[in-house]
Amino acid sequence: MSYYQKKIDAIKDTLFPNQEQLETVIGIKNYIDNNYESDLNLDFISQKRFVSKFHLLRLFKRYYGQTPRQYLIDVRLKKSKDSLKNGISVTETCFAVGFQSLGSFSTLFKSRNGKSPSQFQKEQLSRSITNSDC
Amino acid sequence: MKITLVSIPVRDQEKAFQFYTKKLGFIKKKDTPLGGGNRWLTLVSKDDQDGPELLLEPGPNHFEPCKVFQEALVEAGMPYTQFDVDSVDAEYERLKNLGVEFSIKPSTFGTVKYAVFNDTCGNFIQIVETI
Repeated sequence: MSYYQKKIDAIKDTLFPNQEQLETVIGIKNYIDNNYESDLNLDFISQKRFVSKFHLLRLFKRYYGQTPRQYLIDVRLKKSKDSLKNGISVTETCFAVGFQSLGSFSTLFKSRNGKSPSQFQKEQLSRSITNSDC
Repeated sequence: MKITLVSIPVRDQEKAFQFYTKKLGFIKKKDTPLGGGNRWLTLVSKDDQDGPELLLEPGPNHFEPCKVFQEALVEAGMPYTQFDVDSVDAEYERLKNLGVEFSIKPSTFGTVKYAVFNDTCGNFIQIVETI
């Protein structure tokens, strides 16, 4: 066994002794992955997984390094990019991935990607036309 | 300030280019001659062509400490860098069928699944999936 694998295994034993807790938090993440487009909130998710809201928040942050809310926003933004690449309109994309307001979606998208959803879509669509031309 | 480039040391740029494009599936972004048979050769992910470029850098051939460092990492089985994949299990099967050798089969580490393979150019590379 390599030095790297020994080290990884040792860290794993120290960091993740509680398998049940790990499964709970992975279950929460999977729930967000499968329901990102609906109106998710911490109260609802914690009831679903039978854990307190604050415990859930702490657990999620500990294992994934970000809050469930931050993670949810990341998932929605990632899905919105796929949707825009597929030629779905900005408005339709915004609501389809679970954002409630077009203005806040556009602002958030621009702050994360350096360009607005419509600019992003224009670039992606012109790229696919260019690629098919070459 | 933006992160646009990450580099990986390789012994043979052409061999690395073939491995990273044909087996891993990256695509060429820039290829400029730099003299002495060296190239400024960068690749991007097919699904993120505006994302960071991966520079296949012939450092070990020109700078001894780079070679020493690369050899020490390999000796320890330590990956030089890692790439994200949608499914470690699927990539493991796909790459194994293409003849890629894995030093660590798909394993879990908390909320991450990972595996490590040999890039045949002097490095171990880790693939990861958040579970």
